[in-house]
Amino acid sequence: MYRGATARPTEPGTPLVIGVGNDHRGDDRSGLDVVRALAHRVGGQAQVVECPGDVTDLLELWSDREAVIVVDGVRSGRPPGTVVRFEIGPNGLPTLGPTSTHGLSLSEAVGLGRTLGRFPRRLVVYGIEVEDVGMRDGLTPRVALGVAEAASRIAEELLDGLELTPPA
Amino acid sequence: MTDRTIHVDYLARVEGEGALKVRIHGDTVEDVQLKIFEPPRFFEAFLRGRSYLEAPDITARICGICPVAYQMSSCHALERALGMTVQGELRALRRLLYCGEWIESHALHIYLLHAPDFLGYPDAIRLAKDHPEAVKKGLELKKAGNTLMQVLGGREIHPINVRVGGFYRVPTVDELSTMRPLLERALVLAEETTRFAAGLDFPEIEEDYEFVALRHENEYPMNEGEVVSNRGVRVPMSQFEDVFEEVQVPHSNALQSVHKGAGSYLVGPLARYALNHDRLLTRARSVAHEVGLPEVVRNPYRSIVVRAVEMVHACEEALKIIDAYRPPAAPFVEPPSSFHATSGAAISEAPRGMLYHRYRLNEEGLIEEAKIVAPTSQNQKRIEDDLRHLVERSLRLDEATLTDACERAIRNHDPCISCATHFLRLDLERA
Repeated sequence: MYRGATARPTEPGTPLVIGVGNDHRGDDRSGLDVVRALAHRVGGQAQVVECPGDVTDLLELWSDREAVIVVDGVRSGRPPGTVVRFEIGPNGLPTLGPTSTHGLSLSEAVGLGRTLGRFPRRLVVYGIEVEDVGMRDGLTPRVALGVAEAASRIAEELLDGLELTPPA
Repeated sequence: MTDRTIHVDYLARVEGEGALKVRIHGDTVEDVQLKIFEPPRFFEAFLRGRSYLEAPDITARICGICPVAYQMSSCHALERALGMTVQGELRALRRLLYCGEWIESHALHIYLLHAPDFLGYPDAIRLAKDHPEAVKKGLELKKAGNTLMQVLGGREIHPINVRVGGFYRVPTVDELSTMRPLLERALVLAEETTRFAAGLDFPEIEEDYEFVALRHENEYPMNEGEVVSNRGVRVPMSQFEDVFEEVQVPHSNALQSVHKGAGSYLVGPLARYALNHDRLLTRARSVAHEVGLPEVVRNPYRSIVVRAVEMVHACEEALKIIDAYRPPAAPFVEPPSSFHATSGAAISEAPRGMLYHRYRLNEEGLIEEAKIVAPTSQNQKRIEDDLRHLVERSLRLDEATLTDACERAIRNHDPCISCATHFLRLDLERA
């Protein structure tokens, strides 16, 4: 199940930002917090949606979209709070190590979406390195900084106009 | 005499992460440990001191896969504590919401997590390459369940639409009627899924389960009923803790549930179906009969067929509720305006099995104690028993094949380890 700050977008040309995570699993909420921060900042520049559950919902959300940004907590061995940005190229996700606490992983959703032709024209992923994903309400301090950084970078990218054609 | 240990550090295609360790000494399986690292008691501590009104929303977020189950069990338990009764259309709407979750969760498990095992694929992506139509069917069913949950559960970030006493807002007749075509299509797809699942190849294995599920006087159980088993248990849900207890095991932080004096037991689709097949609606019963599903299924691999039958039932039930719907006068039953120290317990049937919640409230309506027993905690010991039997039958298999077989045996029961933990990691030790 997903929840949207706006209803399911009806204009495929408007960029869509999807936050993935769980509010009560500590830093796992970072993706959700980023889209909440963005909801107040990007106005008509983009639509935002939260995906707190199973990531196969992503296939439904991003199908037929022009440009999509997914924000998720990741574990890759980098310092907590580190923000990584990458585009999904022809060969799938870069190796980040185990990334997901949400049942199927983001890379599986990407693989399924591609195989079934349910994929946006352009997909950008922002990952925020998590520190503590135990049962707790808030973010750890370093990850909170990462959330702020990711929100700023995404807002800037959206305000600049997210290119629909990925760089070669 | 050789000793060996099989370790599986990460179990694929289960919700969440966990680990399995099997120790074999010669031809004897000495130990089977399914590890779950994060126990429900962490959630319980998290709820302490919160207003009772927060519990459905907070517990819904414990697990992203079955939020409705947590909402329902918490609402029912708190309503019992507060002496509230929710009936009529509000009760029906809750059941409708639960149908959405059963459809979504079962579709996910059948097509994306379980079917690859039977068709010889390592994951859903490889399955989708060769059988795109099957996976698309699963996603279409999942979407139908999702849509139902969004119409009833609410699209906005806050609040989630379910509350103690009912809903923050109830749907109009039109909002539900527009769901009809989607659900009619889902019903047909669910029937096709049952035929597809029944046509898979199953290992010829039967386990001697104690099945435990709710049983209602005239409904296939979701929100109400007595706790019954095929070995004579029959108690009100408020007496659950008199019959079943949680025990701490050294290898796992999570508590394992046992039937006091009897041992492991099984909750979930196999148990519900064995104890309630006579409560299925017409088309579910009919398709079960058509594919030759017996009234009691003891082969854990065939749980995929039972899930499909339950999905048919959920689609039928949803259509029935939508057709009969008349908006209630108020979206929720008013809670009492003053409190006294009180407690209440309830069970609902999550897609994976019974989910028990008990709360103790103080005079201010704050939660002083919460106890949550998730279906996966209840099945954990029974899954270990399945694994022990599997390994005993399969000692001659090489390491990789045996490991795959163990992972598959775990997936039969659709464990939601994210309800009870994060990172699960299989150690198979041969000594």
